[in-house]
Amino acid sequence: MPWPKETKFLGKETPRVEGPAKVSGRAKYTGDVAPAGVLYGAIFRSKWPAARVKSVNLAKARIAPGIKAAILARDGEFDVRYYGDEIAALAGTSKQAVLDALALIEVSAEPRAFVVKEVDALKTDAPTVVAGRANLTEGAAKETGDVEAAFAASAAVVETRVSTPIQVHHPMETHGHTVQWDGEELSAWSSTQGVFACRDSFAKSLNVAQNRVRVRCEHMGGGFGSKFTPGAEGVLCARLARAAGAPVKLMLTRFEEGLAVGNRPSSFQKLKLGADADGKLTAFEIYSFGTPGHTAGANTGGGSGGASFPAPYLYKPAATRVKQGSVAVNAGQSCAFRAPGHPVASVGMEAVLDDLAVKLGMDPVEIRVKNDPFDVRRREYAIGAEQFGWKQKYRKPGTMAGAVKTGVGCAGAAWMSGGKGTQAEIQVNADGTVEVRVGTQDLGTGSRTVVQVVAAEMLGLGLDRLTVRIGDSRLPPSGSSGGSQTTAAVSPAVFDACENVVAELKKLSGIEDPRGENWQAACAKIGNLPLQVRGKWREGLSTGGAGGVQFAEVEVDTETGFVKVKKLLVVQDCGLVVNKLTCESQINGGVIMGLGYALYEQRVMDARTGFVLNPTLENYKLPGAADMPEIEILLIDMPERGVIGVGEPCTVPTAAAIANAVANAIGVRVPDLPLTPDRVLAALGQVPKGTADTVRRPGAWVDGRASVAAAPVAPWVERNGGGQAYR
Amino acid sequence: MKAFSYVTAQTADSAVSLVGDRGRFLAGGMDLLGEMKDGLVEPALLVNVKAVPGTREIAAGRGTWTVGANVTLTRLAEHAEVRKVFPGLAQAAEAVGSPQMRNGATVGGNLAQHSRCWYYRQRDARCVKKGGARCLARGGENKYHSVLAHTMCLSPCVANLAVALAALDASVVVQRGAKTVTLTVAQLYEKAWTDAKAHHSLGSDELILRVEVPVVAGARSVYVKVAEKSEFDWALVSCAAAGRVEGGQFRGVRLALGSVAAVPWQMQEANAFLEGKPATDETAAGAAAILLRDAEAREHNGYKIPVAKALVRRALAALGA
Repeated sequence: MPWPKETKFLGKETPRVEGPAKVSGRAKYTGDVAPAGVLYGAIFRSKWPAARVKSVNLAKARIAPGIKAAILARDGEFDVRYYGDEIAALAGTSKQAVLDALALIEVSAEPRAFVVKEVDALKTDAPTVVAGRANLTEGAAKETGDVEAAFAASAAVVETRVSTPIQVHHPMETHGHTVQWDGEELSAWSSTQGVFACRDSFAKSLNVAQNRVRVRCEHMGGGFGSKFTPGAEGVLCARLARAAGAPVKLMLTRFEEGLAVGNRPSSFQKLKLGADADGKLTAFEIYSFGTPGHTAGANTGGGSGGASFPAPYLYKPAATRVKQGSVAVNAGQSCAFRAPGHPVASVGMEAVLDDLAVKLGMDPVEIRVKNDPFDVRRREYAIGAEQFGWKQKYRKPGTMAGAVKTGVGCAGAAWMSGGKGTQAEIQVNADGTVEVRVGTQDLGTGSRTVVQVVAAEMLGLGLDRLTVRIGDSRLPPSGSSGGSQTTAAVSPAVFDACENVVAELKKLSGIEDPRGENWQAACAKIGNLPLQVRGKWREGLSTGGAGGVQFAEVEVDTETGFVKVKKLLVVQDCGLVVNKLTCESQINGGVIMGLGYALYEQRVMDARTGFVLNPTLENYKLPGAADMPEIEILLIDMPERGVIGVGEPCTVPTAAAIANAVANAIGVRVPDLPLTPDRVLAALGQVPKGTADTVRRPGAWVDGRASVAAAPVAPWVERNGGGQAYR
Repeated sequence: MKAFSYVTAQTADSAVSLVGDRGRFLAGGMDLLGEMKDGLVEPALLVNVKAVPGTREIAAGRGTWTVGANVTLTRLAEHAEVRKVFPGLAQAAEAVGSPQMRNGATVGGNLAQHSRCWYYRQRDARCVKKGGARCLARGGENKYHSVLAHTMCLSPCVANLAVALAALDASVVVQRGAKTVTLTVAQLYEKAWTDAKAHHSLGSDELILRVEVPVVAGARSVYVKVAEKSEFDWALVSCAAAGRVEGGQFRGVRLALGSVAAVPWQMQEANAFLEGKPATDETAAGAAAILLRDAEAREHNGYKIPVAKALVRRALAALGA
């Protein structure tokens, strides 16, 4: 690796460049952009979980006070498949004018039967979410080796059932855009994790040439995989702006975030794992299904939001049988979500592995080291166990006395990372100042600071000499911020541009090494016009393939079911660390997200109305400051591997480690995430059986397809009759 | 949100005469503004009551303390003397929402807040509390709902202060027409027990002015809760206890549970059971069993019963600690 060995900035702690602008409110987010005459846009959404929309009448809304544009999301007759599906959109001079006018839109529709619970959707008489298509799609079982024989020959076999919830992205900044047309030129300020992808998507959706679309995103408040494209809201915003002949700002509400802009698919997993007497894994079997929303399919990629996930994840038993399904329900569609598939996979696999270790009387770390094929992770387990004090802390499951019990657990991660294809441009001015331009964007990971750090290091300059421009599709192209690829894609391009700058400046000034203390003298020779140099990503500076392991220590109150995470130790490799501060910040964020997945977060839907019951941050519970454990991070610096992204591996094993720690504390597995007090107490056998007003079976789910009455069309919904106006 | 008028009342009399049946009182606005934004209520008039005289004081009397309805929860929680004399009240105030909310939220607003049931709060759902035919939590997602119910509605009382004040045997002074009336905490909520549409017993033109908390020599108080998160979360169950432990025996102890019924759940029988009995975990468990005797688990809320029992034992243990 040509990266320097002695460094001033690389691998050190540089605070976020835009930190002061963000905390002082000077940073302009999409919602802060307000071109002259900007209109407020909003979307009219389905109040039916399923209906055939016959007609939509915008006439009254169009002539309401302040309304400047009213458009249909779809023409003709169409189906809506979830509560929140887009039907129409309005733009007007004030938020109030638009909200008032939304109530004037009249829809004629035939409500249809619907189903929102995965288990209900499996039943033979369940309403079909997409007409003419079975709700459940299953791939054929994929087999390697002789599974039955391998189980039969195993010294120990365990079966474990787990389920994971629908997790909603809920970025702090909601989805949205401000769009302005100038003739056929479209300018968009978008909350996006890909300014170029967003540009191309706008161009395609609106039938505009790519060279007439400009997308900017100077700052954004998170996306986690849900902001790769303009989305339905972006296209509606652009169409409203065109129809109104004025710029339109359309930012979704928190309520809409809970319904319509993606989520992590749920999973119901039945796992079986066998090992020989030494703890070497011999056989594995999984049957799983989950819902990716109203459009299901046997997608195995994970990244597109399908309900499948890698199995047996990190491990390589010789005989495996994997059968995964995907079930459609009348709910918002999933999309990529930070390490798609991996946390889901980790929760199941690491659970069954721990249960097997218990049966074999083996230490959970030991069984992992014995079976993990990745040497980096094996080393991380050793380092982590030492630092964590695993040997001192680990005791046999459920053996601690007292009402409040502590437990420990661990789990590992794998992520492909990688990243390439970025270009960078550096402009050097005669006064010695430098502007670095990259068409990447800062998803919140600190990519602006990464650019600054690399350039400062390679040019031997202080940070104050460097300005960084990102977040604009007129800058040199870079890919979307996803797959933990940004740092590994951007850093080499900036490195390359810096090398080219140094070469040019050397030629121009005659100074052998124009960097550092010679910089000013070299720049003085630049002349009237600034020096502008390009660079691009090249091999040998970054790579992929991150591991990472985490150790969790929890405290479980067995009388109230409350789980408190006391400590999380992260041992994470990420190749060459570019900026330690933002790298660790990424890891903190990943751990916090994993902790939310383990303990708090789940989308709750109501079977009879089809509503999401918690489309608010009051009831969709995100972890807060008081929920934080001590998070300790050990970065395994491996500069010889080059830059490797860290944003996703760090969130993968957290929930599994916590769930394993809870099982270790109380001696029984709490099968369903999140591990809320009711579920912990239920696992401990302390919850009296509920008397049902209407029989539903909490927690139970079926292998095949039992016969249960179809969910009725809800008579409990206000103003929801077909053909009548409602607000 | 519908357009509305806004007026600041200078006296309690004018506040109740201005508000009529189409207006709402506005103090901290924590609850009301959310209901308005979600389209659940559409008042024609907001009557700002923050200027009503005498509603912002915390005053220590010889036998009784008064806490004005417009005292913020932050002030109540941080009040050094309140923390000493009525620790359970300060703890209950401190356990509400987030610091930002407590800075705005008031004592009167906490007591008069409306249901947090997610069916009630869902803008398109039509439940019994909103005039519909039935309770959607029955047979639905009732994890956060009552285990003790008398009407069809399963929405529980989640006002922290109500639970603490019930245990402290406090009174609530209310402006009713031209008069003031004094209610017990039980009276303040009894209508919610018998009327599925009611959040509490107050009419739309009845204004809480202050609460009066009796001082009992030697008595202590405590408030404990369990939520899903460590902070900024509604109690799954809460419990307050107040009274004395003398010579190892419970004396004059009152218990109240929150989030299990439409009212702060109190039973004289449970309090009487404790009287004079040794201050042990066994005694506490006996009182807990009485308090939860009539509790009925629904599909998803059965866990509240063991949690409530655990909290009763912990609250009573803290009383004697």
